Amino acid sequence: MIGERRTAYWFVAPASLLLFVVLGFPVVAAILGSLNFSWSGGASASLKAYARLWTDAEFIGALRNTAILVGGIVSLHLVLGMAVALLLNAEVRLRWLFRMLAILPWTMPDVIGGIIFRFIFDTLYGGLNAVALALGWIEQPIDWLGRPGLALLSLIMAETWRGYPYVMLILLAGLQAIPREQYEAAAIDGAGWWQAFRYVTIPGLTTMIIIAVVLDAVWQCRLFGMVFGMTGGGPGQATQNLSLFVYKQYFQFFDTTYASSAAVVLAAILLVAAMPYLRVTLREKE
Amino acid sequence: MPRARFTWLSLYVALVAMALYNLLPFFWMVSSSLKTDLEVTSFPATLLPRTLTTDAYVRIWNQEGFPQYFVNSIKVSAATAILSVTAGLFAGYGFSRFRFRGKNALMLVFLASQMLPGVLLVGPYFKMLSLAGLYDTHVGLILAQTTITLPFSVWMLKGYMDTLPIEIDEAAVIDGASRAQCLLYCVLPSILPGVVATMIFAFLLAWGDLLWALCLINDPAKQTMTLGITNLVGQFRVLWSDVMAATVIGCAIPALFYLALQRYLVQGLAGSAVKG
Repeated sequence: MIGERRTAYWFVAPASLLLFVVLGFPVVAAILGSLNFSWSGGASASLKAYARLWTDAEFIGALRNTAILVGGIVSLHLVLGMAVALLLNAEVRLRWLFRMLAILPWTMPDVIGGIIFRFIFDTLYGGLNAVALALGWIEQPIDWLGRPGLALLSLIMAETWRGYPYVMLILLAGLQAIPREQYEAAAIDGAGWWQAFRYVTIPGLTTMIIIAVVLDAVWQCRLFGMVFGMTGGGPGQATQNLSLFVYKQYFQFFDTTYASSAAVVLAAILLVAAMPYLRVTLREKE
Repeated sequence: MPRARFTWLSLYVALVAMALYNLLPFFWMVSSSLKTDLEVTSFPATLLPRTLTTDAYVRIWNQEGFPQYFVNSIKVSAATAILSVTAGLFAGYGFSRFRFRGKNALMLVFLASQMLPGVLLVGPYFKMLSLAGLYDTHVGLILAQTTITLPFSVWMLKGYMDTLPIEIDEAAVIDGASRAQCLLYCVLPSILPGVVATMIFAFLLAWGDLLWALCLINDPAKQTMTLGITNLVGQFRVLWSDVMAATVIGCAIPALFYLALQRYLVQGLAGSAVKG
């Protein structure tokens, strides 16, 4: 039985109202703000802020850092997530224990993860240099977070650790949905482990891989706490991503027009990136 | 059988390697928090504390404001969880049980709003709050967190409701129940585990937030846990044993909640993402 239309609106109204007021207004305000539009009609609307973005080396750097971080982190998440999902999908004893351990990094709030890794990568007091020195891998302590390239790499390593269980969980759910008969049929046909993986697992997992990669990429594009806690965008602006760039422009330099234009660019990137996910989800819901 | 035994063994070796990889940063955090402040700044660093001490925990807990951060975080996260699940329950029911004009568009808006970056919203929202006189209040922060957790609450709860047969509602309506009674007395009890899972997700998302608290809270007495810990590092001299003790406290609640919830995690995450 399908309910009456008018009742339906009462049910969805409170949530919709919240969404339109708390998220809708800021979105409209940010877009108008980025165009330097004002209701009182003082300054005239213009695209100046957007034009400035493309000539600003700091913005281009933030864009580049975001791309490197997202590319590095998401691909490592996919590899690690897939490997661990396959391990956890096997029939082993103590599976519940291993599954708990597998989720653990993801339970850590990202800024706390950033702070802990800042300490681990510390030149003098950090655990990483201590272990590497003790094992004789290096002779001098390495200044991980003080050199631009290394700092970016350290950030990728830290967020790879913290975030991969999320991808793993989505892939694990996909693995469990693949019917066992398909593997049995493949085994009867004489398929080995690799062939079963290549011709049964991967095709059965395609949708979930797309979802995992898209959602993870969206999360990583917005990465804030981890960067803020671990490097604060430094050294200089070497690890500053778009989120941090917008935050600084808005809340430290109070250049709201400029900050909004960069934020709108980030939002546009995210919505385009999320398209495959939105389409898959809405299609499945019908 | 030697081949089978080899496969079996390598499986466990891989699982143990995974466990070690996941636990190492936790180990470092806990180990450092139990060191003396002299040892934590010795070079090269020691892996295990030479002398065990809980001084750092005592210091951090007695530090002005720290227990307050804890209380603030619980308050903000709990209010967020309750509000977003309440609003989500009604909206989820509307989406699950009714057909109405604009339904698909509205569902798309809920889904797409999750893709918006926080930094786009937080600036204008900050201005809105200042105009409304709600800047630097927990109400303003809770309202923001609620709206952020709302879309996935709606989608998750709708997913749980879709698994219930619609006949339940029909029977209740024939017996003279209103739609709201239907939701509260027939649907809600059947999906209670799902409701609890959704609530805990919302709680933890709010607990882990830094950006919104950073931009909307100014008064040190109103800071949340994550913000308080972040400011601890921003201070002139970082005392790592104290900071690590603080992070242990900050990590404990989410870790315990997630582990208690892990049965729902796989369904919850992927279930709300693809399946109905």
